[in-house]
Amino acid sequence: MGSFVFLPLVLPLTSLPIARLAEHHLHPRNAVRLLSWIGVTMAVCSTLALGLLFVVGTAQIPGNPLPDSWSDPEIRTAVPFHEEVGTAAVAGLVTVLTACSRSLRRHLRIRARAHRVLAPMPLDSDLVVLPDPEPYAYAVPGGPGRVVVSATMMDSLDADEQRALLAHERSHLANRHHRYLLAAQLASCVNPFLRPLQRAVGYATERWADEEAADSVGDRRLTARAVARAALVTRGAPPPAFAAFAAPGPVPRRVTALLSPALGEAWPPPASPAGLAAMVAAAGTAVSAVSALNAAVALLLLVKAATPW
Amino acid sequence: MELAGVDPGHGEGDEGGRRRRGQGELATEVLSVLHRAPGPVTASWVQEQVGGELAYTTVMTILSRLLAKQAVVRSRAGRAYVWSAAADAAGLTARRMRRMLDTEPDRDAVLASFVTALTPEDEQLLRSLLNAAEAAPGAGGRDDGR
Repeated sequence: MGSFVFLPLVLPLTSLPIARLAEHHLHPRNAVRLLSWIGVTMAVCSTLALGLLFVVGTAQIPGNPLPDSWSDPEIRTAVPFHEEVGTAAVAGLVTVLTACSRSLRRHLRIRARAHRVLAPMPLDSDLVVLPDPEPYAYAVPGGPGRVVVSATMMDSLDADEQRALLAHERSHLANRHHRYLLAAQLASCVNPFLRPLQRAVGYATERWADEEAADSVGDRRLTARAVARAALVTRGAPPPAFAAFAAPGPVPRRVTALLSPALGEAWPPPASPAGLAAMVAAAGTAVSAVSALNAAVALLLLVKAATPW
Repeated sequence: MELAGVDPGHGEGDEGGRRRRGQGELATEVLSVLHRAPGPVTASWVQEQVGGELAYTTVMTILSRLLAKQAVVRSRAGRAYVWSAAADAAGLTARRMRRMLDTEPDRDAVLASFVTALTPEDEQLLRSLLNAAEAAPGAGGRDDGR
């Protein structure tokens, strides 16, 4: 087992190249699904690894409720640890749990609040147009899902572009994108190395909705124009922290993607660079999962053998 | 708001007509109370404001009729319903939505926004993309590839 127990904590570092490759080579629908699964698997494995380090590292610290035998010398040789690592793992676990529960609570609170705000509006359509001078358009998930668009945003688009916007927002609702977003957010709370994955899932859900909107209105260029014009009336971005290194933001990339030919929905063949990347990503996730499971099973057996009752 | 039609088909008898007219006036009054209200209010608040000897059930009847005519909207606040005038409802909802958006900066994972704000560089890039797209032959037409 050895230092393999640390592997699940570090492997999420690979999420940055994985996210890049997925964005460039996969259909956004596949990218969202693949990246979410990788994120959740790596997060679970990384939590498992933290749990193991915590159990073995702290079982002999006075005053803890775990049986001392769980930290017997033979177990200690099986898991590389020191008490410091164990203590750090406790801090890590507490941080992870706090961050996750805070994220989850915020998610539920915002959803409930949005539905309370929209409750007085008639339910005969899922579209709510609000008289607001600020241009915005949001998909509010949950039963029933609703699309909130400010009148200013509606006015700044022509009728066709409005159809594209609505198709985009309805695609978010119909495909339950908020679930992928929440999963990715929780994963990146568990292991900060997974943050690139969260950003990539966020971007890929927008691309997915863009593609569905383009299919629905039957015109990629029109959809690109709707996204671009909506973004141009939405103002007030904070200046980027590192202006010199600023890559094009998500909106220009979405527009560029819509102006280019559509990516196929099929998974790329294994021989292509994209297929290779997907396989490497899957293999990395599998290694992470296997090493976490391996460590867990080995520890379980040892602890069982060492437990007097 | 066509208040005259709150209860169409009145005026058969002298007595009946007076009673119905009275109800129409009450509906107007209830509605103007709602317009003056600082926000969504409960039926008993309306009852107080209208004053006089109006029974709570009468106020409720008027409010339900106005609701059926979509002149007012109601929403649940805790265990009671709160009411507001329909013309105000959209504006009110807009203000509440705005307040919510302003106070929940980390809403990205919940509410998917159509677009995010642009940096100045992005804006420039986007304008050139837009110009290129519009200048391209067949712009705005149906195309699935290029």
